[in-house]
This record gives sequence, C-alpha cells and structure tokens, in this order.
Amino acid sequence: MDYGYANARIKAMKSRLLQPPVLETLINKPDLSSVITELEKTPYRIELEKASVQYSDIVLVEVALRKDMISAFRKILGFMKGDEEEEAERSRLPLILHRWDIHNIKTILRGKKISVSSEEILSCVIPAGDLDEAALIELARQPDVKAVIDLLATWGIEYAKPLTRNFKKYSEQRDMAILEYALDKFYLENTLATVKRGGTDDDRIIKNFILAEIDVTNIKTVLKMIRDKMDVGEAEKFLIKGSIGLGIDKLLLMVRSGSIEGAAKYLAGTPYNFLNQIPEKSISGESISEFEKELDRYLVKKGIRHFLGDPLSISIGLAYVWAKVNEVTNIRIIARGKTADIPDKDLREALINV
Amino acid sequence: MVDFGIPIGAGIAFGLGALGTGIAQSKIGAAGAGTIAERPETFGLMIILVAIPETLVILGFVVAAMIMIMLV
Repeated sequence: MDYGYANARIKAMKSRLLQPPVLETLINKPDLSSVITELEKTPYRIELEKASVQYSDIVLVEVALRKDMISAFRKILGFMKGDEEEEAERSRLPLILHRWDIHNIKTILRGKKISVSSEEILSCVIPAGDLDEAALIELARQPDVKAVIDLLATWGIEYAKPLTRNFKKYSEQRDMAILEYALDKFYLENTLATVKRGGTDDDRIIKNFILAEIDVTNIKTVLKMIRDKMDVGEAEKFLIKGSIGLGIDKLLLMVRSGSIEGAAKYLAGTPYNFLNQIPEKSISGESISEFEKELDRYLVKKGIRHFLGDPLSISIGLAYVWAKVNEVTNIRIIARGKTADIPDKDLREALINV
Repeated sequence: MVDFGIPIGAGIAFGLGALGTGIAQSKIGAAGAGTIAERPETFGLMIILVAIPETLVILGFVVAAMIMIMLV
C-alpha cells in the first residue's frame, strides 16, 4: 500500500488534535457549560453544534466526542481502503479498528443482559469497525443475549464463534465476564495469527503492539484473579497465549504468589516494571484500579509513540487511532470531572497521557 | 568514425536526473495531495515542495549541455 497520501492526511489530522495547553484551559474552567464553550473553539465545534439540537450538558459532550471519533476513524478507513479491492486486502488498519467491533458487541451483550433500552445501548457504541450503524441497530433490537449471538452467527460474523462456544457456560453461571473474556481472547489471538502469517513490515508493527496488548490483558487478568482469590488450577484457562516476554509460566507464578505486590515483583526486568513503582499509598486494600490505570496509560503511550516510526508505514495510522482515543478519553474525564465537581489537581492526575 | 560516447553520456546525465525527479515528485505529490485535502491553506507550500526536485533534472540538463557543448 502507498502510504504517502494516507499518512500525510493522517499527520494533517494529527495537527488538529488538542494540544496540552488547550486541555489545561479546559481543566481551569469553572463548570461544564464553560468547558463546552471552550470546546466550541476547537474542531469539535461541528459535532457539538449537531448534538446540541437533541442533547445538553454531559450527554451533549459525550455524543459529540463519540461522533467526532467515529467520523475520524471512518474517514481514515475510507482513504486507506482506496478504490481497488486489492488495496483493501493489503491495508492492515481495519485489524486495529476491529477492536471497536469487540467493544460494540460487548456493549450490546451487557445492555441485553441488564435489559437496557436499544436507544441507551446505541448511545454507547462506536461504529468504527466492520459492524456499521445499521448492523448495530439491528443487533441492539434483539430481545436477549442469545438472539444477539444467533444474529451474529446468521450474518456469518466470526465473533459469533467464541460466543456460541461459551454460551452454555454463560447461561449456567450468568456471568458476562465469560463472554467478554472469550471475545477478547478471540480478537487478540486471531489478530496475532493474521499478522504472523503476513510477515510484512506493517504486520511486524501490529504484531509488536498486539503482543503488548496481550501482556496488558494478561496482567490485568492475573491481578483480578489474585484479588478474587481464584484457584490457580483454573487460571491457565483465562490467560491468552502468544506473548514471548511474559509467557504463561511466568503469569502462573504471579498468580501463585497470592498477593498483588508479590505478583508485581515478577515483572522486574520486563517493560511492565513500572507497576513496582506505584506508591503504596495509592493502593488501597485489594484495589487494582491504580494498576489497571497505569497499564492503560502504558498502552496508550506505546500506541502514540508510533508517530516516531516509519512515516511510510501503518505506524502513523496506529498512532493516530491511539492519540484520538487518548484525546477523547481526556476530554471525557475533564467533562465528567467538572460535572462531579472534582478538584483541578485530581483531574490533572486522572488524565491518561498529556 | 562517429563517437557515440559523448551523446550517450549526456543522455545518461539528463535521463537519470529526470528519473530521480519523477520518483521524488510522485512521493511528494501524493503526500502533498493528502495534506491539501486536510489543510487547503497549505496549497502554496505544497506547490513549492513539489517543485523542489525539479532542481535534479535541471542539474542533469546543465551537465548534459556542458558535455555536449564542451566536448563535441
């Protein structure tokens, strides 16, 4: 694929991302309405104006941010796919954007489990992957979890496989984590297998990132297992294979250590050693939220660092996706923080990567 | 006997310069089109950037001309 045109456009789009001083200005605003006024001076103005017809306050910000992110990703997909089918096959960006298919299916399944209205479910989905808005509307219309999975299977969508395989277990235990975990595992292992088969430079870049994502997911799973005092024998079933630096054996040793601090010690000498530097005062009891936040921050930083990679490769697209996610998450944190009257100092600490 | 070496040398000097210019302009042109699509205000700058590799073909032409004029 010729990245000259696509990456120049993405870099131009990157120049429109909000700079740290703008985020600082947003934090310094006294309330949500002044945050919205400030956001209207940024490229979010168009989506804010459209959304203001129907929504107000925090919902307005949420809808505008979501729509802006969707249109940015759809635009990139549009010009990266090109006109020829051949080109579409070679572009690896859809592989990265498939994560939103997983996010959307999980959202719909969760919504169906707790019987939330279709409108409410659809307000949380991000149609940036293969499943477009029409498909998501149809899925959200289904009466229950089983019907959603059946519809995915009828459409021949590959994500129906892990869901169908694990549905029996889910219906016995009524635990949504079973289906969510199966989806995550399927997505990560499938993407890794695809890029391993490819062998191009783009595949290598995505492979390195997916491996980091597998590590982060596995570490989070291990920490949850320790917190919930899960049986070590059961642990292996919940870990995703594929990582080289942080293999299943090491992860099982972490589970066996029985404490979060003990597990973190096994990460010395790996890129995840930063978890050992988390100050004890920020870890309250068995809470793992601080660890999860740091792991998410690591992944976002790793993604954004790809802007420094080969300018004529998938690196730039990958970096933009993460930079956009980071920006939207940061604005959401600020907007939600202003609604909840959180002090500015705490808001600055909560931002992912500035 | 006609010496073909001089015109062939001049042809190579001009041809390779033109080839280099073509390759460079194709890359810069594609990236420039992408940039202009997102930021139309960069149009003037892009025209200049696309024109910069022309220096290669001009230098090739000058060398070819020098070969032809000075050696023939």
